[in-house]
Amino acid sequence: MTRTIHLTLDINGQRHELDVEPRVTLLDALREHLGLTGTKKGCDQGQCGACTCHVDGKRVLSCLTLAAQAEGRQVTTIEGLAGPNGELHPVQSAFIEHDAFQCGYCTPGQIMSAVACIREGHAGSDEEIREYMSGNLCRCGAYNSIVTAVREAAEMA
Amino acid sequence: MTIMAPRKFGDSSDGVVGGRQTRFEGDLKVTGAAKYALEHPVENLAHGVLVPSTIPAGRVVSVDMQAALASPGVLLVLTPEDDFGMRVATDWGGNRPDEPYYPLSREVRYNGEPVAAVIAESREQAVAAAKLIRVTYEEAPHVASLDDPNAGEGNLLEHLSASWGDAEAAYAAAPVKVEAEYKTPREYHVAMEPHGLTAKWDGDQLTVWEPSQWSHGMARSYAEWFGLPFENVHLISPFIGGGFGSKGAALAHGAVAAFAARKLGRPVKLALTRPQNFTGYGGRAATRQTIKLGATQDGVLQAIVHRGASETSTYGVWPEQTGAATPIMYKVENLSSEHRVVPVNTVTPGALRGPGKNPSAFGIETAMDELAAQLGMDPLELRLKNYADRDYQSGKPWSTRRLREAMTEGAEAFGWSKRNHAPRSMRDGRTLIGWGMACGTFPVIQAPSEAMIRILGNGRVEVVSGAIDMGQGTYTILAQTAAEIFGVPVDQVEVHLGDSRMPGSAIAGGSMLAGSILGAVHKAASAARDELIGLALSEPSSPLRDTGANTLTFSGGRVSVGGEGPSLTLPELMQSLGRDVLEIRRNTLPDGASMEDQHQAWTTMAKVEGPTMGEYSMHSWCAHFAEVRVDEDFGTVRLSRMVSAFDCGRLYNPRMVESQWRGGIIMGIGQALLEEGLVDMRNGRTVNNNVADYLVPTNADVPDIQVISVGVPDYNASALGGKGVGEVGIVGVAPAIANAVFHATGKRVRELPVTLEKLI
Repeated sequence: MTRTIHLTLDINGQRHELDVEPRVTLLDALREHLGLTGTKKGCDQGQCGACTCHVDGKRVLSCLTLAAQAEGRQVTTIEGLAGPNGELHPVQSAFIEHDAFQCGYCTPGQIMSAVACIREGHAGSDEEIREYMSGNLCRCGAYNSIVTAVREAAEMA
Repeated sequence: MTIMAPRKFGDSSDGVVGGRQTRFEGDLKVTGAAKYALEHPVENLAHGVLVPSTIPAGRVVSVDMQAALASPGVLLVLTPEDDFGMRVATDWGGNRPDEPYYPLSREVRYNGEPVAAVIAESREQAVAAAKLIRVTYEEAPHVASLDDPNAGEGNLLEHLSASWGDAEAAYAAAPVKVEAEYKTPREYHVAMEPHGLTAKWDGDQLTVWEPSQWSHGMARSYAEWFGLPFENVHLISPFIGGGFGSKGAALAHGAVAAFAARKLGRPVKLALTRPQNFTGYGGRAATRQTIKLGATQDGVLQAIVHRGASETSTYGVWPEQTGAATPIMYKVENLSSEHRVVPVNTVTPGALRGPGKNPSAFGIETAMDELAAQLGMDPLELRLKNYADRDYQSGKPWSTRRLREAMTEGAEAFGWSKRNHAPRSMRDGRTLIGWGMACGTFPVIQAPSEAMIRILGNGRVEVVSGAIDMGQGTYTILAQTAAEIFGVPVDQVEVHLGDSRMPGSAIAGGSMLAGSILGAVHKAASAARDELIGLALSEPSSPLRDTGANTLTFSGGRVSVGGEGPSLTLPELMQSLGRDVLEIRRNTLPDGASMEDQHQAWTTMAKVEGPTMGEYSMHSWCAHFAEVRVDEDFGTVRLSRMVSAFDCGRLYNPRMVESQWRGGIIMGIGQALLEEGLVDMRNGRTVNNNVADYLVPTNADVPDIQVISVGVPDYNASALGGKGVGEVGIVGVAPAIANAVFHATGKRVRELPVTLEKLI
C-alpha cells in the first residue's frame, strides 16, 4: 500500500495537515507524524487504555481509531489539557499531589479518562470511579491514589 | 535529560531525606512532556518489526522473503542466513563464551523466538511485509512446559541447597505433620511501555534510546556485541515505562535493530508488539514445590523439608528459587531445601519482582497456614511462636528484623483479634468472608555506585548519575538528598539520570538502587560541600574568610557561620570565589579502585554484595493481612480489604515508598487471583499473550490498601539506613489471599491463581 491521503486534523485547537497512509491510526498519527508523544502506545490493540484521548469530548482509544476517522472532529490529547499559560488541569494537579503514578507511562491515558469520567458524571463514589477507570491499566499499581485524585478533582469541578 | 523544579502543593513538599516531597518529575509525566525512549525525535527513521517462530523446537530450513522484499517501502529483510558479525556478550553470571551471536537464530528453541526481521520506511509497511514472510521449518520434539509429561525431574542446583540438622528424621519423629505440593504458573511483567528502541550510528559511535533498568550494563552488552569500546555506545534512558525486572538486559530485538541501522546507514526504530512482549524475554518461571513441616502438638516447628523445581529454557539456566525465603522465615533446628531446574522449550525466564522469594513465600506461608489449621491455632500465634531470633541459614544475627512488629501492628490495624479461626465461620448472606495472613521478605543487596555533583555559578545544584528512575522515585530522593546537604529548596536542584555516559550506578533491580546510589550521591554532595567550605574559608576573595570559623552552615538557602553574622546565597558565594562551576565526583568503591575496577563495578554484577556477606544477615520484612469475599455459588473471589506492615528500615520518601509497596501488593493480588500464562501443549505457544487474556489487576479489582512502616534505620544495610522497598511488597501477598480463601471456604487452593473453577 503506497497511497497516502491528505488529512486535516484539529488537535488541541490547532489545525494540523498531514499525508498518511489510510491505515495509519490516530495514535500513530499523533506519535509518529505530529510529534505529540504524550499519548502512549501500550498494547496497540485496545486493551490497556494508555492511548486514551478525547474526540469531540468523548474518550476514545486512539489505537483503534484511524486518523482519517478523526477528520472534522475535535481531538484533545494530554498536551492540550493544561491551561493557556501552562497551568495544570485540576486532575493533573491531583495526580501529582496524591502520587497517582509511578513510571508515568499509563498516566496520560489515566488523566484523559479521569477528565472524561468526571465529565460523564461517573465520579460519584469511589466504587463508581474504580469501575469507570478500569479501562486504563496501571501496572505500577497506583490505583488507590488514582481513585483519590479523581475524587478530589471531581469535588473541585 | 534535565528535570526542572517540581511544582509544590501546600505543605506536601519536603526537601529533606525522609520527607514526603511530591514526585520531582511529576509535571513532565502528567503533561505528556516526559520523553520515553521511542519518543525521541530522530531524522530519517526506518522502522523494524520481528517475525517470531511458529514452532517450539527445530530449525529454520529456509525463509522465503521475495514477496516481502517486493512489498512497498521495504528496505531490508534479515534472516538466520545473515552474518551479523556479532559476538556473544557477557551474561548475568559474568560468563562470556567466545562465540558468534545470532540474534535471529537458525535453531528454534521456543515458540515466538525471532527468526526474521523486516525493516521498512514506515511501521505499517514493515508490519504488512512481515506477514508475507514464509518460513520453512524442520520440527523437532519439544517439551511445552513444566507440566509436560516429558519434562522430567530436571537438574539439581547444588549451590541453592540448604541443610542443617537432620530434617527427614526430625520430620518423621514430629507428632504433627503437614505435607503438600504448591504450584505457581508462568507470570509476566506486563510493563505498560513495551520493549523497544531506536538505534542510530554515527561512524563507529552507536546511540541507543532504549528503556533500561541499567544504562551501563546494557551499553556494555551493545559494545561487546559489536566489538566496540564501551565509550562508543551511548544508551539513553531518562524515563522507563515500567520494568519490574524485564528491562535490565539488552535483548535480541535490540541487536537486530542496531545491526539493521548499521547495515542501512540510517536509524532504526523497533518495538516489540504486545504479544511479542510475552516471548521476547522471560517472565517468572512456573514453579512447583513440596513442603513438609513437622511440629510439636503445641506448634513448635521441628523440621522443614523443601523440594522445589522451576522451569528454565533449553539454552539457559534461570532458577526461580523456590527455597529462597524458606530457610530464613522461622526458627527451625532441622531443615533441608533443594531446588531443581527443568529445561523446557520456552524463552529463558527472568527476574520478575521478588524473584525466588515470591514463589518461595507462597510455599512456606501456605504450609504454615495449613499447620495452624491442623493445630487449631491462630496462624499469627503460630508465626510468633516460631519467630526466628537469628538467621538459621547463615548463622548470623539479623541487622534489623522488625517482622514481629510488622505482624503485631499489622494485626492490630486489621482487627485480627476479632477473627474466629474456624474456616467458614464468617458470612454475609451468600458471601463467605475470610481473613488470611502471610509474611514476606527480600534481601538487602548493595552495589558500588558513582555520582557527580555540580554547583553552578547561578547557585543551581546538579546531581548527575547513570542510575535510572522507572517510577521508584530516584529523581525525587536524589533531589531531596542534595537539597538537604546544601540547605537549598528542592527547586534549586536539577537531577540528570539514565545515561550510560554519566557516572556508573547499581542496577535498578534486586531492590538495590536507592540504598546504593544514595550512598554515592550523599558522599559526593558532602565532598562538594566540604570543598566549598574550604574555599569559602581560605580564598582571599571570600567574605567568609575573615570569620575565623572552621566550618560553615548551609541552611535556608544561605551559607553562614552557624547561622550568625554574614551570610551568602550559593550564587553569591560562587561569585565571590570567582567560580562558574564546582564539580565533584565520588564513588563507593574502596579508595584507590582502578579504572578497570570501576568499569567492572558499573557494567557487571561482579561487585554486587548479598545480604549475608558482612557480619549480619540483612533483609526487608513484611506481614500482609487480607480479607476476601467469596461467592459460594459462583466461586468468585473479591479482595475486600488489605493491610500490610513493612520493615524496610528508614524510608527516604514515605510518599514514594507507600506507592511502591502498594504497587507490589497489587501485583501480588494479580498473582493470587488472575495471572497465569497459558501454554498450548501441542506447540508450546503462549496462548494468552495479550492484556485482555493475560489478566492483570484493574482499578476495580483493588480495594483501599493500608500500608504501615514499622522499620528503624539500619546503617549496616545502607549508608543512609534504608533497606530495599521495591520488591518485598509482592512477597507473601498471594499466600495471604489464598489463606483468606481457605478461611472463607474451607478449601485449600495450592495452585495459583485462585480461580473460580478451583473453588466450585
